[in-house]
Amino acid sequence: MSGEQFEPDFSRREEEPLLSVRNLQTAFFTDRETIRAVDDVSFDIYRGETVGIVGESGSGKSVTARSIMGLIESPGRVLEGSSIRFKGQELTDYSDAQYREIRGSGIGMVFQDPQQSLNPVYTVGNQIREALRINRDITGQEAVEEATDLLESVGIPDAKRRLDEYPHEFSGGMRQRAVIAMMLACEPDLLIADEPTTALDVTIQAQILDLLKDIQEERDLAILFITHDMGVIADISDRVNVMYAGQIVEKASVENIFERPEHPYTRALIESIPGEHSRKEGLNTIDGEVPTPHEPADHCRFAPRCPEAFGACSEVAPVHVDVGETIEHTAACLLYPEAMTEADRVEHHRARGTTGESETERDTK
Amino acid sequence: MNRLLYLGKRLLLAVPVFLFGITMSFLIMYRGPIDPVLNILGQDATPADVRQLKIALGIIYPDGTPVPLWSQYFKVVTDLVTLDFGQSWIIQRGTAVTDLILNRMPATLWLGFWSVVIALAFGIPGGLYAGLRANTWRDYITSGGGIIWRAMPNFWLAVMFVGVLSAGGALSFYQDLLIQTDVIGTPDALGNMFGSAHVFAGVPLLEALWIPIPNLENLAIAVKWIFPAALVLGSASMGNEIRIGRTAVLESINSKYVQTAKAKGVSGRRIVTKHVGRNALIPLLPVIMGEFYLLIGGSVLVEKVFSIRGLGNMFFRGMLGPDIPLVMALVFLFIVVNITLNISQDILYTFIDPRITLEDTER
Repeated sequence: MSGEQFEPDFSRREEEPLLSVRNLQTAFFTDRETIRAVDDVSFDIYRGETVGIVGESGSGKSVTARSIMGLIESPGRVLEGSSIRFKGQELTDYSDAQYREIRGSGIGMVFQDPQQSLNPVYTVGNQIREALRINRDITGQEAVEEATDLLESVGIPDAKRRLDEYPHEFSGGMRQRAVIAMMLACEPDLLIADEPTTALDVTIQAQILDLLKDIQEERDLAILFITHDMGVIADISDRVNVMYAGQIVEKASVENIFERPEHPYTRALIESIPGEHSRKEGLNTIDGEVPTPHEPADHCRFAPRCPEAFGACSEVAPVHVDVGETIEHTAACLLYPEAMTEADRVEHHRARGTTGESETERDTK
Repeated sequence: MNRLLYLGKRLLLAVPVFLFGITMSFLIMYRGPIDPVLNILGQDATPADVRQLKIALGIIYPDGTPVPLWSQYFKVVTDLVTLDFGQSWIIQRGTAVTDLILNRMPATLWLGFWSVVIALAFGIPGGLYAGLRANTWRDYITSGGGIIWRAMPNFWLAVMFVGVLSAGGALSFYQDLLIQTDVIGTPDALGNMFGSAHVFAGVPLLEALWIPIPNLENLAIAVKWIFPAALVLGSASMGNEIRIGRTAVLESINSKYVQTAKAKGVSGRRIVTKHVGRNALIPLLPVIMGEFYLLIGGSVLVEKVFSIRGLGNMFFRGMLGPDIPLVMALVFLFIVVNITLNISQDILYTFIDPRITLEDTER
């Protein structure tokens, strides 16, 4: 059986992706150790859709986001061979000044903790107007009006008066709305939301998710949504990337992820969501914790915690293969392609891994 | 309005602080081991002279019975509060204390001014520089320097400076550098930095500004002369500012709001000037305000070692005297300045950091 049959097909659409990340590797170099926080991550985002990245703490989700924003600082850096293409432009070659142009007006970002993402010593209005001035050259009275409109559009009542208030006079949910308004002021094409609802309580969380959906519809905004919460992912994403120890282990549409999870890690994640079954049998958990990757992967990083691991898992690094009947459902696991025998599967992964011709590189050709 | 209310409340609360300081100084001076009568009249005084002086100083009544301590205390406090500082007992017997203080004030203000300028000019940029380049060798040199300046005690540093800068010292060429100055003592130039003519003399309205024309030579002498002493006095504050400034900058630059500002495309320079600067100022404020106390309090030690005819030097001699009216007047001045600085610091906080309000019950 030929391996070609199982090559994942990414080129599902005619249009060009808004953001295309290929083989992204970000590592932190300290005197003591090297941490490969993001190791060979590839995904696409098209206009108007929401792509989720889900994974445990320490799996590299936030570093992925900051790499895209060009906000990785020493001792970390995006390694050679990584590619981040935004509207056809290669961002990894950009200088600081060029990146500044992209930030805000191209890609905006909302951070996890709304308590701290606004500068405490300036009014909310001041900070929104700053975004307007830098990205859209709107100043003066016009900026005040635009800022008022923006605050209203994210559901803050009495917007005009609240512009003159300081962040500490806003509640947590209001603050996150204000941050979103500030990012919308930049008119980005892509909004990266890094755990934007994690610090909020559940009702506020639902409101913010609804707000993001509304904004997306209105503005044809693409959203990269990062969270550790499978429930949130189910609510907001169109497509999902499951990350583990710096790598994407499974990617699929949101329906497929929940209905037909193929990677053992994805299955374990879904089983650990509290629900009906946990009430009877107790909650399933994944023992152990995410390892910190120091070396390039030469084995499956999930193997030590994987209930289905076998001998080869600690010797061969899995590559992404098609696992679903639908397109765009791939997993990096030696259990697939299911049609092959175990020996063939291992050989298939080994061959594609060592030739260095991963599906991601092939895809960019 | 709230700030005025707050100010009133703070002034009211300052009264016990003021009384406590005055009372302690009074007890130490009036019940201390030093006898002003003996010091004024010397060993050979006749009992009649002693008796007369004691009456004059208000220690005994004319009939020979001692004035009770509480009565003396009450008189001292009323005199101070009504700004009646009396006359010097010993330093310049018979001279009004106010004149003495005004006479010595310029040297202390000059010293304090330059020590604040030196500390601010090197400390704040130093802290900013170290914080922005954290954990590089540039940072290590700057913040290491800060620690060293902070660690060297004034009494030691002052003696070392005088040692190396005076004739025969390793850096004695400083005296002849550019313009001839002494290192110790107080030059006449200090009192003659400005001529009697005014910049706007004869110009209507502006004349009222009363900006004197400086005598450049005397000004240069005064600046160069005060520099070593001011550096000694400002060294600790400078070191503090470098260390605290570095930490404050570092904390701010790694904060989420700086990340967010970057995410909306704010330039690196603007992040430092707008977003980091004001936040880093918050922890620096008490250090800077503490420094301004140097302006008036000066330092007994630095003025003594450098033989500067300032308030600190006079305060020290007054204590030994004991020139009680002079000492009490200076203590009064120091307490008032200190309380004023503390209150203005708390009010300044509200301008820098909007999270700090002066009301007790808000929201």
